Amino acid sequence: MVGFVVRRVAALVAVLLAVTGLAFGAMNVLGDPLFNVVGFIASVDCDAVAAGEVDDISGQTAGGRGDCEVIAEARREHHLDRALPIRYGYWLGDIVRGDLGTSFKNEMPVREVIGEKLPKSVLLMVVAQVIAVGLAVPWAVAAAYRAHRPFDRASTVGTFGLVAIPSFALGVILFYLFVVRWQIFSSRYDDTDLWSRLRSMVLPGLTLGLPAAAVYMRLLRTDLLTTLQEDFVLMARAKGMSDQWVMFRHVLRPSLFSLVTVFGLSTAGMIGGSLVVEQIFSIPGLGRALVEAVIRDDFPIVLGGVVVVATGFVVVNFAVDLLYTLIDPRVRADG
Amino acid sequence: MTDSMQTDSVDPGRTLLAVDDLRTTFSIPAGDVKAVRGVSFSLDRGRTLGIVGESGSGKTVLARSIMRLNIGSNVTTTGTATFAGRDVLSLSMSEMQEQWGMEMAMVFQDPVTSLNPLVRVGRQVTEHLRSHLGVSRAEAHKTAVSLLNEVRIPEPEARLKAFPHELSGGMRQRICIAIALACEPTLLFADEPTTALDVTVQHQILNLLGREQRDRDMAMVLVTHDLGVVAGRTDDTLVMYAGKVVEQSPTTSLFASMRHPYSEALLRSLPRTSHASHTRLAAITGRPPDLIDPPSGCAFSPRCPYVQDRCRDEVPPLTTGGSGDDPDHAFACFTPVGSPEGAEAFARNVSDGLPQAVAVDLPTGDQMSAPLPTGNERIV
Repeated sequence: MVGFVVRRVAALVAVLLAVTGLAFGAMNVLGDPLFNVVGFIASVDCDAVAAGEVDDISGQTAGGRGDCEVIAEARREHHLDRALPIRYGYWLGDIVRGDLGTSFKNEMPVREVIGEKLPKSVLLMVVAQVIAVGLAVPWAVAAAYRAHRPFDRASTVGTFGLVAIPSFALGVILFYLFVVRWQIFSSRYDDTDLWSRLRSMVLPGLTLGLPAAAVYMRLLRTDLLTTLQEDFVLMARAKGMSDQWVMFRHVLRPSLFSLVTVFGLSTAGMIGGSLVVEQIFSIPGLGRALVEAVIRDDFPIVLGGVVVVATGFVVVNFAVDLLYTLIDPRVRADG
Repeated sequence: MTDSMQTDSVDPGRTLLAVDDLRTTFSIPAGDVKAVRGVSFSLDRGRTLGIVGESGSGKTVLARSIMRLNIGSNVTTTGTATFAGRDVLSLSMSEMQEQWGMEMAMVFQDPVTSLNPLVRVGRQVTEHLRSHLGVSRAEAHKTAVSLLNEVRIPEPEARLKAFPHELSGGMRQRICIAIALACEPTLLFADEPTTALDVTVQHQILNLLGREQRDRDMAMVLVTHDLGVVAGRTDDTLVMYAGKVVEQSPTTSLFASMRHPYSEALLRSLPRTSHASHTRLAAITGRPPDLIDPPSGCAFSPRCPYVQDRCRDEVPPLTTGGSGDDPDHAFACFTPVGSPEGAEAFARNVSDGLPQAVAVDLPTGDQMSAPLPTGNERIV
């Protein structure tokens, strides 16, 4: 077990290094960090200024400071005069100390930005997954009882429909029905208390959760049908256990593996937020913040987001692996 | 079948299970698979019946049909199976749930797959005790410990806490037997209980089943492909081929004089310890028949060394032999083994060069003259 945890932590570190290294490199090569820090004066030719050929004051900086002074200070502060790997090293050092840096745009600490956006995306994820699993399990069980009968066939069509609808379409439909038509929910994100936050998450949760429920239902139904063929199910029946007992005590648990795997993957995906859903329902979540940051080349925010999402991904999948061992004692034995 | 071995068993109240013209059909896209095609027999309380046949002969389907365990919308079973006065084939599923475990229990072929790998042994032994008999957890646990002792499992307390994968195959089959016996059923089906086990363990498991059957005065149906298993262990034997009974007899009488060519071929195909090593196995030529479209006439006719033209057109009825024979020994053959008709038919087929007859006639060791297996000779 100790070895298991050590291996997992090592994996987390490796994943984080790879992902942030890639993101850091890409952002620096594809964008110009200096430009993002100081704006248009980044293009001032400081060698020419030093030679006295060009005037230092472009009029874009306040306080009468020279453009090149500002540039030099920014270079020092952000270590832009150093090589890329060294800059990455500085950034890593800050991360280890818990400092994610500050946004280039509004000087807000990245930690604060993420601290504000992440809980909303996580809440959306939780609501969506509760809806998805809460729907999928009873649905799959009901369909597996009546495999290849009308209910099961109708379910197949229904799930394919849900998976096929793009989330923006489903979101817009739900928005139209519940907000515009019946006015059951407000169009604004209400952040006053937990209850109002949950209420605001119902429609976005459905938009994310319904297609997920359809996928989970398909997976679980197939696995349930496979398990129902097992000898031990026949044996349980031959003991005279009721159908419900057989289903919930003997069939359901061995059938959870695919569901748990996909659940883990999609949870991790949802930690980063869903841009489309957050946009439609105007939720100030991490997904929107990240996309905006990418568009504005706001490196610290993007990298902070990458760290959060990658960590979430590894941690959730670690939890899923632990869940396997809870489900199946044979996994425990194999260590 | 009625029991002539025991002279004091004329009392009809002794009959526990009476099966009449049972037919089971599976509808699959390729057609209707007629797995059981009209089987009748009866079994008295506390008696044992062996059902023997090769794979696909319908023996497992027959057992599962009586227990109503063929699940699926594509299965149809007709006929009657009167168990303790009630036709189980007409019971509802909830009425069956009261029969299962309590009155009829089954031990399955493969103990590795018939225990739930994710549930501790203890719960699998006690769950039906608790649901059927409503006993407390502690009481169920006590019963489970004594059951495990009874099926000779050492350290029962520890075993009850184990998961199935922590136990050996033989141990798991003992657990399955304990589960089947837990609610003290009056009828136990053992469906090839030793096929998946090591040879060394098979004998122990069969002995255990036999002992439990005697001690509990429980009726038992032992389904097997191995004639050597029923010899000496069952009171009566049914030999099935292609979903039909081809020979039905008290077991001693069957082994004293096999009348159906299929029974004889099954027996001949068993390897014997008395054979010289490297003796070629006497396989039955040909393949089991197509059960979607069974051959007309006797289903065994395409593989039978005694086959005559009549066998290919007419289905031989299940009848008893002449006056000198055991009146409870029935067989479905026009040219039975050991009869002048049979000898004549066989000689004719050999001289005609019929492959299955020639194959038998080839000198493949002394199988025809080898001693018949007794209960003590385990075939290796």
